[in-house]
Amino acid sequence: MRRTGRRRDLIITGIVFVALTVAGEFWVIRTDFHPMPASREAGIVDGAFDLLMVLSVPVFAFVIAVLGYALARFRVSHGDADPVRHDPRFMWGWLVVSAGLAIFSIFNPGFKGLEELRAEPNADLVIGVTAEQWNWSFSFEEEGLTLEDPEELVLPVDTRIAFEVTSVDVIHSFWIPAFRIKVDAIPGQVETVLTTPTVTGEYEANPMFRVQCAEMCGTGHARMSTAVRVVDQDEFDAWLTGMRADA
Amino acid sequence: MTTSDHVVVSKLTLDRFGLWLFILSETGLFVALLAARFYLTGFEVPEEANQVVALTITSILLASSGTAYLAEVASRFGDSALFRKAMMATLLLGLVFLVGVGVEWSEAFHAFPPSTLYGSSFFFMTGMHAFHVLTGMIFLGIVYRMSRGAPASHKWPVEASVKYWHFVDVVWVFFYPALYLIN
Amino acid sequence: MRAIAPLAKGLGGGILGYAIGGGIFVGIRALAGAGQPWDLTTVLVGGWLFGLVGWLLGVGVWAHWARAWFGWPLRPYERTGWQRYFAFDTDHKVIGIQYLITFLGMFFLAGLLAVLMRTELMSSGRDVMSPATYNSVMSLHGTVMVFVAIATIIGAFGNYVVPLMIGAEDMAFPKLNALSYWMIPPVFIFLFASFFVGGYDSGWTAYPPLSVTNEPGQVLFGLAFITIGLSSIIGGVNFITTIVKMRAPGLTWGRLPIFVWSILLTAILAYLFSQFVAVAMIMIILERVVGTVFFTADGGGQPLLYQHIFWFYSHPAVYVMILPAWGVILEVISHCSRKPLFAYKWAVGGLIGVTSMSAIVWAHHMFTAVPEPLKEPFLATTELISIPTGLVFLSALGTLWQGRLRMTVPMLFSVGVLFNFLIGGLTGVFLADVPADVQLHDTYFVVGHFHYVIVGGGIFGLFAAIYYWFPKMTGRMYSSRLGKLHFWLAIIGFNLTFLPMFMAGLQGMNRRIADYLPYLEPVNRWVSLAGFFFGASFLVFIWNYIRSWRIGERAPDNPWNAYTLEWQTSSPPPLHNFSQPPVVVGDPYCYGEEDAEHAVVGERVEA
Ligand code: HEA
Ligand code: HEA
Ligand code: CUA
Ligand SMILES: [Cu+2]
Repeated sequence: MRRTGRRRDLIITGIVFVALTVAGEFWVIRTDFHPMPASREAGIVDGAFDLLMVLSVPVFAFVIAVLGYALARFRVSHGDADPVRHDPRFMWGWLVVSAGLAIFSIFNPGFKGLEELRAEPNADLVIGVTAEQWNWSFSFEEEGLTLEDPEELVLPVDTRIAFEVTSVDVIHSFWIPAFRIKVDAIPGQVETVLTTPTVTGEYEANPMFRVQCAEMCGTGHARMSTAVRVVDQDEFDAWLTGMRADA
Repeated sequence: MTTSDHVVVSKLTLDRFGLWLFILSETGLFVALLAARFYLTGFEVPEEANQVVALTITSILLASSGTAYLAEVASRFGDSALFRKAMMATLLLGLVFLVGVGVEWSEAFHAFPPSTLYGSSFFFMTGMHAFHVLTGMIFLGIVYRMSRGAPASHKWPVEASVKYWHFVDVVWVFFYPALYLIN
Repeated sequence: MRAIAPLAKGLGGGILGYAIGGGIFVGIRALAGAGQPWDLTTVLVGGWLFGLVGWLLGVGVWAHWARAWFGWPLRPYERTGWQRYFAFDTDHKVIGIQYLITFLGMFFLAGLLAVLMRTELMSSGRDVMSPATYNSVMSLHGTVMVFVAIATIIGAFGNYVVPLMIGAEDMAFPKLNALSYWMIPPVFIFLFASFFVGGYDSGWTAYPPLSVTNEPGQVLFGLAFITIGLSSIIGGVNFITTIVKMRAPGLTWGRLPIFVWSILLTAILAYLFSQFVAVAMIMIILERVVGTVFFTADGGGQPLLYQHIFWFYSHPAVYVMILPAWGVILEVISHCSRKPLFAYKWAVGGLIGVTSMSAIVWAHHMFTAVPEPLKEPFLATTELISIPTGLVFLSALGTLWQGRLRMTVPMLFSVGVLFNFLIGGLTGVFLADVPADVQLHDTYFVVGHFHYVIVGGGIFGLFAAIYYWFPKMTGRMYSSRLGKLHFWLAIIGFNLTFLPMFMAGLQGMNRRIADYLPYLEPVNRWVSLAGFFFGASFLVFIWNYIRSWRIGERAPDNPWNAYTLEWQTSSPPPLHNFSQPPVVVGDPYCYGEEDAEHAVVGERVEA
């Protein structure tokens, strides 16, 4: 009698688990958690996040199913439970599955994502970025143009760009949300981050197109941002020429 | 088993255990200092470091460990006179060590001041160590003072402060080569 | 008058010490020929050591302890009743309550700071305070809360309950225990005093060079951190010695209640790692006072060195925040499920695993700064730490399954921890993944993650502990109805507040900002309102707590019918805890087993 009761508990919990998982996966796959991706890197980063969501759903569903069922079914106001201290199948099963998931996630999206991020190390355009309390400066070395605390940063679409980021005072962090790139600007050190913008766009239409300081750097930290505009190559060249003429 | 053998571990056992734990924890502190020194300056030792003074104060500190040991043994055998002499010698040697550090510092201020990378590590490490020498001397001084009455009843404070003193010496045994010899 | 004499003497000693220490440092500066000997930073730092010593001597170390060093008779403050709580008392039960009340007070204060922050963040643009003030308020909120999370459960319940659970009369070093408590008031005085010298805007992480160049409030932060570090180390030595050496006869490692295990491991972490943060803080202070160049790039220093040292401590510190909470909830879940703790050895193994792995994951806070080759190893170790963490869940779920659950207030909070921490832990796995963290780092996604683990895990665990041991500590019972009301308001308010933060982060809201772009206004307004609601839920608690302590109905010695030793004595326990020395004869979780018995107190003598 008791035994069949226990089997029923397991079966119902199993069904709840599967149902929650299916519903969760459905939701995760249908939902777009991210702002519009605007660079090659964005695909990799968002992909990593989405894969982790897919992997988390069963873990979450399992814990919630067991917890919820136990809370719903096993509330009693008298007597002690059967003193079950072990259940090797459950314990080893748990260990193997959780270790498997953890190790899997190390390789994918972990190592795999890193490898993809590093896959194209050669840039066509190098931009020096200097952070200073509380603004950004950009220098197009080869093009012979330096912009100090400009209104906006203009970038060419579909070009491999390397940002060489440094700081002159405290630590800042160079972040363009639309591109999903972020690297700290550290005094005395140059950190390089690469990206390829894949769509044109501008800050006014999409606030993700901005250089945002992401590391606490003092009073002006919140406002330490610069608009970004991504344009096609011709427009970029025209812009460069115009800026150089102004300077 | 009877209920009478209560949890009573001897106080001394607890004290000893606690002291060792404390010393282990302090070790972490000095390991952090060493790690920072090597992270920042590798194996660099400036020419100007005064090797003579350094070697002298190192030997003095080692000698003070010897006298401290003597004091501990004397206290264990209840030899109050010897204990006080050895303790006094330890305190004096400690003082000489501190003076030696002072000499080092006054030279270092010109040769490699704290505003240089090596100087930063040098002053931090020697300063931290000297601070521990100073606290060790305060402990030894208190024990010395307590011994005016009945030394026999203060075995644990003697043991504790002497152990701590040895520990401070051992730290120097690591700091000395790290600051002066490795190159 | 009599009641506050020790405090007054402590304050007097502190101020005197501060004056002496500050004077010495100013003197040194004058001798060294500095142009302006009256430097605020120098005085703040110089006075610290002497001020701390003066305070401690005044508050009781001199009268209770140090006089003997000079061959003079001790003159302890003889206090009875409530006055004991304001004096240098060495009873672990008094100290536990001192910790609890102090830290609850700090929790509410820092909560009110959060309310201030959320008011500013209600809408885009400047509302109630300047960015500089916001930054200081934010930093202070984070710091005070971190200290609350690090020290409350271990300080309050580690002290109160652990000696009882292991059948000891007191802690191994009662005076050191009092010493580590009395180091706490200066910590908070320093932190709040920082406001008067310009505050500090570096967050609780205090990265240089910012923390070297900002307002002098920063050095008070550093000194506070060093002080609480000292207190943790002393407390850690005390807990380790007590648990290793003073367990009742028969209380083998395999029979040790899981809460005691968690406190032991927490103590080990706190005691092995606090030095590192002290070193980091000293380096910051040296940089400011002496002009060293550890972190100053112009002098050849490396700003990143600080982050390595800081996180080498602070990652273990986050487990200092959560391990005691896990101990509490596993304890409560077993007792309230009337079922032995499932897979006890695995749970202990999980705790040990987390403890040992916590030292090798620190750089996951620095993924956007460290050299490329460091990313893979730290990604891997961080992901792996979820395996031992999972064992805690395994044990909790296994215990609940087929249990006979009593849905008491502590049980509700324990289940709440499981739910909240699951979300917090899983989002931690996202952050550990470098490609995802590139975007999420320093956004509200991280803010959401750590409020889920610290508040949803650690603080909910703290409240589970408060509700569980309240009858033991006060001898009275609280209103369960109000307790349950508090729980439901809290868990709903909590999730409504912090779940949307993940959304805000994904939408590009970075953290530590006094102002945000207008498109983020809806989510922030929601978070603020929900945050006020969550805060208000604590009013129910405060009412219930104070009222029950004063006029609650008398509680029986063992209201939960639990087997562990703290329930086998009166509520509250007598001065030396047990009328007769207890002997442990079995497992602490022997529910449902025939003739089961955990411990015998006194009466029966066996061969
Ligand atoms: C109580 C404190 C606490 C705890 C317990 C944790 C737990 C974890 N934390 Fe968290 N963390 C903080 C407090 C805490 N953290 C704080 C305060 C910060 C911000 C600091 C600052 O910058 O101000 C932070 C920041 C932080 C970062 C840096 C983010 C950034 O700044 O970019 C990272 C990155 O890896 C991280 C990861 C993790 C992981 C992987 C865990 C893991 O331990 C979680 C493991 C738990 C689970 C995974 C869930 C349960 C497990 C199972 C059900 C088993 C099966 C599951 C799997 C196999 C996945 N945390
Ligand atoms: C224990 C840890 C803890 C706790 C409990 C909290 C609680 C809360 N935190 Fe906190 N928080 C941190 C730890 C914690 N936080 C840390 C470490 C940081 C990082 C700082 C940094 O970046 O350096 C942070 C940062 C942080 C931020 C990000 C700031 C920024 O990046 O700009 C925000 C924003 O909303 C926030 C909000 C809140 C809110 C709304 C609560 C609410 O839960 C608060 C609920 C309210 C109360 C608990 C008050 C109750 C009071 C009463 C009911 C009145 C009674 C009062 C008296 C009788 C005196 N916190
Ligand atoms: Cu620059 Cu934040
Ligand atoms: Cu961490």
